[in-house]
Amino acid sequence: MSRNAEQWMLKPKFPQTHFVDSRIYTDESIFREEQQKVFNGSWIIGCHESELPGAFDYRTFTHPAGTPLILVRGEDQKVRAFYNVCPHRGNTLLYDPVGNAKRITCIFHQWSFDTKGNCVDITREQQGFQNRYCKADAGLREVRAEIGYGGFVWVNLDDNACTLKEYIGDALSMLEEYMSMPLEVFHYHKAVVHTNYKLWHDTNSEFYHDYLHYFNRVTGMMQPGYFDRKYTGYPNGHASVGSMTIKYDAYEGSKERGVGWPGLAPGGWILIDIFPAMTYNLRTSVLRMDTSIPLGPNKMLVEFRGLGLKSDTPEERAQRVRDHNTIWGPFGRNLHEDLLAVHGQGRAMQPGSEPHWVIQGREENMTIHDEGGMRHFYAEWSRRMEREAFDPHGDRNLATVA
Amino acid sequence: MPMQPDRFAIEEVVYRSCLALDAGDYKGYLALCDEGFRYTVTAHSPEIRKEMVWLDHDKAEMQLLFNNLPRHNSDHSPLARHAHVYTVEVAADGKSAAVVSTLQIYRTTLDGGATELFAIGRYLDTVSLEGNAARLAKRIVRLETRQFGFGYHVPF
Repeated sequence: MSRNAEQWMLKPKFPQTHFVDSRIYTDESIFREEQQKVFNGSWIIGCHESELPGAFDYRTFTHPAGTPLILVRGEDQKVRAFYNVCPHRGNTLLYDPVGNAKRITCIFHQWSFDTKGNCVDITREQQGFQNRYCKADAGLREVRAEIGYGGFVWVNLDDNACTLKEYIGDALSMLEEYMSMPLEVFHYHKAVVHTNYKLWHDTNSEFYHDYLHYFNRVTGMMQPGYFDRKYTGYPNGHASVGSMTIKYDAYEGSKERGVGWPGLAPGGWILIDIFPAMTYNLRTSVLRMDTSIPLGPNKMLVEFRGLGLKSDTPEERAQRVRDHNTIWGPFGRNLHEDLLAVHGQGRAMQPGSEPHWVIQGREENMTIHDEGGMRHFYAEWSRRMEREAFDPHGDRNLATVA
Repeated sequence: MPMQPDRFAIEEVVYRSCLALDAGDYKGYLALCDEGFRYTVTAHSPEIRKEMVWLDHDKAEMQLLFNNLPRHNSDHSPLARHAHVYTVEVAADGKSAAVVSTLQIYRTTLDGGATELFAIGRYLDTVSLEGNAARLAKRIVRLETRQFGFGYHVPF
């Protein structure tokens, strides 16, 4: 039976933790607040250490809180992070996404910095500033950076935030043994989609949407063990999904994977979501890493990385690349489907559109089609935002609604 | 015996391959390809300083990819592939030609018909001149564009 306007807006017959107000995906004010309250103090993956192989190699990264950063390996091999902003007139210091810079020199007025963030040259310093301002006053703004959990370079804009280890806690324990050897990024691409970043993370936080993927239905959902996978929630909003074995040859034209991952059962699959917008996805022979970056309430950028072992032979690497491309590459069977679905959510939930409920009410003892992974995320989101995801503006009057 | 090198015939196989894919005529597309056909999509990532392979299929794998398309959820906006053959270099033995074409791909929305530039790159083709017709023996789609929004399932 279809519903009229009043019925459409009736509170779902679930606990309030089991649905959200669509305005959390569409409101500009909430988006701006998230940048400060959710992203500013969270540890975020900026790049992988293999992207900075040598001294003075740098990588630029626009932090989800909106701040442009430089990640650079110093002569001492330490990776540091700085605002990619000249302290003089606020220009971008490094324009290219990668490079090698013993000196970081602003093109505008040629102020120059070393890879420890020290200002080493102010052109015509004495003539212009006399003794009122000097190089010691003009260091770069350094941002906390740590390498860990598979060799990723993590950054945190909040000087007073907890350590990366405290932030992650035990959330990645299921994966750590598989990430003890050096890894290397072999695939990188970006996708910009008009949708809210949380909708992408939601997709990575629930497997009920395997119905979207023909590939996953035949290689996973129809195979033994699929419905036994369990979600585990961790402090700070992270969540993991237990392993299962994928039967790749159930998809016509797909073969059982010839290259696995050291220690991982053949066909194994482990997925871990890191709050607020990163996902480790180790599937048989490839580690995929998603980092989504909100660009607006209805616009997000996702960075997709595919990683193998640094020790791969050319043959092993080629097989990992093929495995990756089959489902996760830009022409892969699954990635387009996932992106198309969140694009559709973005189309349906435009900024300013009529608010409605988005349901996360499935309960299956926290197994694979339970929507508890999303609920766990929104509990942390609500705590940080000091807003309830089901009533972000406090105007729902839920107690009085039938 | 190799056919007489004919630039017109070589160009036409490139152009017909675009028309066939644009029309979703996968049977027609594969008919333009040699039995040993190899199709690869590559791109360079400045971000990770690496060459990337995004798709690498032989003729049978291309057939399977096309066969499986209806089983997947895909964007149905039509693409228009515009290739322009720049150079044709016939091998000394006359059995093949290396063909470089520029490629622009446009996507037109089903709802409203707005057209956008979707991708640019090049076709780096090897065209077989053995037998009585020019056939695609190898195609490398060398992409400049690396962002496709929510993407697409059909190769370029």
